[in-house]
Amino acid sequence: MRAAMLWIWLLASSICQAEPGEITFFNWSDYLPGEVLERFTRETGIRVRYSTYDSNEAMYAKLKLLSGKGYDLIVPSTYFIDRMRKEGLLHPLDRSQLPNFRFLDTRHLDKPFDPGNRYSVPYLWGTTGIALDTRHFSPDQVKAWADLWRPEFDGRLLLSNDVREVFHIGLRVLGYPGNSTDPEQIRQAYEKLRSLMPNVRVFNSDAPLMLYVTGEVDAGMTWSGNAYRTQQEVPSFVFVYPREGCGLWMDNLAIPSGASNPDGALLLINFLLRPDIARLIAEKTRYASPNAEAVRQLPAEIRDNSVMYPPPEVLANGEYSLDIGEAITVYAKYWERLKVGE
Amino acid sequence: MRLSEAMVTAGRGLLPVWLLLFTLVPLLMVLAVSLLTRDETGFVTPVVTLENYRRLFDPVYLKVFTDSMAMAAFATLLCLGMAYPFAYLLSRIGSAWRGVLLTLVIVPFWTNSLIRIYAIRSLLAAKGAMNSLLLALGLIDEPVRLLYTGWAVGLGLVYVLLPFMILPLYSSFEKLDRRLIEAAADLYAGRWAIFRHVIVPLTAPGIAAGCLLVFLPALGLFYVTDVLGGARNLMVGALLKDQFLEASDWPFGSAASLIVIVWLFLMMGFYRRAQRWAGKGALDDV
Amino acid sequence: MSRSGRVYLWGVFAFLYLPIVLLLAYSFNESPYGSSWNRLGGEWYRRLADDPLLIEATLNSLKVALLSASLATVIGTAGAVGFSLYSFRGQTFFHGLLMITLMAPEIVMGVSLLVLFLALRIPLGSGSLLVAHITFCLPFVTVTVMSRLKDFDPRLIESARDLGASEAQAIGHVLLPLASPAILAGWLLSFTLSLDDVVVSFFVTGPDFEVLPLRIYSMVRMGIKPEVNALATLLFGLSLVMVILSQRLMARKG
Repeated sequence: MRAAMLWIWLLASSICQAEPGEITFFNWSDYLPGEVLERFTRETGIRVRYSTYDSNEAMYAKLKLLSGKGYDLIVPSTYFIDRMRKEGLLHPLDRSQLPNFRFLDTRHLDKPFDPGNRYSVPYLWGTTGIALDTRHFSPDQVKAWADLWRPEFDGRLLLSNDVREVFHIGLRVLGYPGNSTDPEQIRQAYEKLRSLMPNVRVFNSDAPLMLYVTGEVDAGMTWSGNAYRTQQEVPSFVFVYPREGCGLWMDNLAIPSGASNPDGALLLINFLLRPDIARLIAEKTRYASPNAEAVRQLPAEIRDNSVMYPPPEVLANGEYSLDIGEAITVYAKYWERLKVGE
Repeated sequence: MRLSEAMVTAGRGLLPVWLLLFTLVPLLMVLAVSLLTRDETGFVTPVVTLENYRRLFDPVYLKVFTDSMAMAAFATLLCLGMAYPFAYLLSRIGSAWRGVLLTLVIVPFWTNSLIRIYAIRSLLAAKGAMNSLLLALGLIDEPVRLLYTGWAVGLGLVYVLLPFMILPLYSSFEKLDRRLIEAAADLYAGRWAIFRHVIVPLTAPGIAAGCLLVFLPALGLFYVTDVLGGARNLMVGALLKDQFLEASDWPFGSAASLIVIVWLFLMMGFYRRAQRWAGKGALDDV
Repeated sequence: MSRSGRVYLWGVFAFLYLPIVLLLAYSFNESPYGSSWNRLGGEWYRRLADDPLLIEATLNSLKVALLSASLATVIGTAGAVGFSLYSFRGQTFFHGLLMITLMAPEIVMGVSLLVLFLALRIPLGSGSLLVAHITFCLPFVTVTVMSRLKDFDPRLIESARDLGASEAQAIGHVLLPLASPAILAGWLLSFTLSLDDVVVSFFVTGPDFEVLPLRIYSMVRMGIKPEVNALATLLFGLSLVMVILSQRLMARKG
């Protein structure tokens, strides 16, 4: 009896919180090759707790739930950096601790969502376009987002589980800007997307790559890096930049304001900015790196690949998602309706 | 002497206090939050409103509830249909084998349910065993799209929850006094009449317990709809998860939770009626 | 038993076991997407052993399961004794509360506990998880022990007291040993429930305390990972052992 009590007490005291010096890294799923953190730990001796999310909204909600604490490093997209810095949820970056910052391509710096890069550092960027298995569909017939509405795609499509990305399609197909805050335009986009629903088989942002490779879906939205990796596994896949304009996105490293180990996080950010590490990340994930030096070191076949590093005209036609403030509730309302499948 | 009495009293009080703190109080808090308003920066502001409940009547959410109820009812009926004869047959087996077979029923019940869902997904995948079999048999030319459908979700729910239906039913059948059936037969009752008027009423507590243990979880197992359903057709489980962990609309999420809690009470009442009907209780959990 | 009866029994067992058996088979297939059968081996098991996140999550789960099962057994047994031996005011009310905890869907429990923790500003982590696990294990222990105590003759306690024992001693030396198979069964059941829990843990755990089911959930959502097949096989083996163990224990003391 007493032994049992002692045993229980010992056990209870062994369940403790994160050890000091550890860094908690919250990143998108499938966005970091395992060996990067291993190398970091080997070189610095600091352990990294790694967990993943599949949407900005989930990351944001989790952070708010924990009152901004619990994570040291997060990777929000552009519009969430914008929103979070305005809400005071981000810790300003001490540039003096980031000597590797100089390797970044200046074309990706000092953007409106984070002037002067006070709160964030670009991590990876890319495009959102259409994936197509040419064994089942002819690439000549699919040149625009609007083509996804064709009847031959009945029950075949994959869409991202992301309200902004999906509504971007609905808005652009109608000729409206992808960052519209006009409730009427958003409503029309919703109606248009509703008519697309019979063609949608699954919403997935966790691991869409797997779904394409295993043949569960053979057409739909995809991100550039995923598209390239899909092509490698299933050569019949092509990646199409839609006529109306592809989506552009950039994910950025940032430190939450309540982080318990901001210095450790800065150390990790600097490590990730090192050209050889940034190159490794770019090579494994197949997304575009904003690190100029890393890109220089990439093998030519990757650097010149139009899927991963799109030509300027594609970039000009593309559109970043911006923070739309309160209008997000309008989007959220319609998104729910879409998911319920009215 | 007094110390030991104090210890006994304290020990006896542990459970009630724990239940008060961690069952009653949280439920009351959910009720309270459901009557408040969402706050932009925090979670709730103390502004009392019935808006959240009014929102529940929006056709979108009504559809979520009816879809989920339909799916749960489907899973429950399927489980009942499969488990009833199974439990009956099991109760008739000689005691030597019965222990082994019961163990075989319990083992999946004790295996991690996510693993079992993963197994179903593997089975139904485009390159999975089911499609490979059908292709090999020449019944189809191309893989059939089995996953990410309502059927896949239903199958997943049945697969995870079937043992919850089998065990209470088995318990009921085991307690069944065979002499009652013999007596009815002696009175020239036909097999169907015996079934309707003797067996069903006597196993009613088991049926009610099984339905309760399958229907309610079926409403809330969001990971089944997530893994097998493809994030289409929002269900109650996913709705609650979204409201609390993504949309951060706690008052609305609480209101939706309360609906589920009301269903819980309704079904508990139904269970007690069934108990009274049969004359005694049968929820002897394994 | 009739032929059709036997066929039906086997049919249901096949339904229950076929997917698991397939996982077992795939866990030894070394081709990456499991679509072909060229190599057999223990590669995925080796990878499991190399996965530090998984090992940590497993250890965390085991710790929580051991603790919550033990504490739930203590509290639940005390409560069962309380319900069975004594009558007190509000007994029906607490019994109802117990039943609610037993039958409430996990999502309701997860949500309500989350609201509680946030309202009281309790940080989410191993502590909140432990409390949640104890809460949902409690009714199972209580009900199991209570059903065993139903047949208990309270006069045994009286005779023990007549012989000079205190209340606590009477309970400890007379009642508990008789109820021990049920107590043990309750512990084993709680342990399993805690190890298996996904829904409640999803809501109340913190970022620095990963548990096995949530880790598996991440792995499963990430797609077809062959390591999961190996993990599944191991977990299934564990369940098998636990069930056989519990049956043996119940049978022996019975």
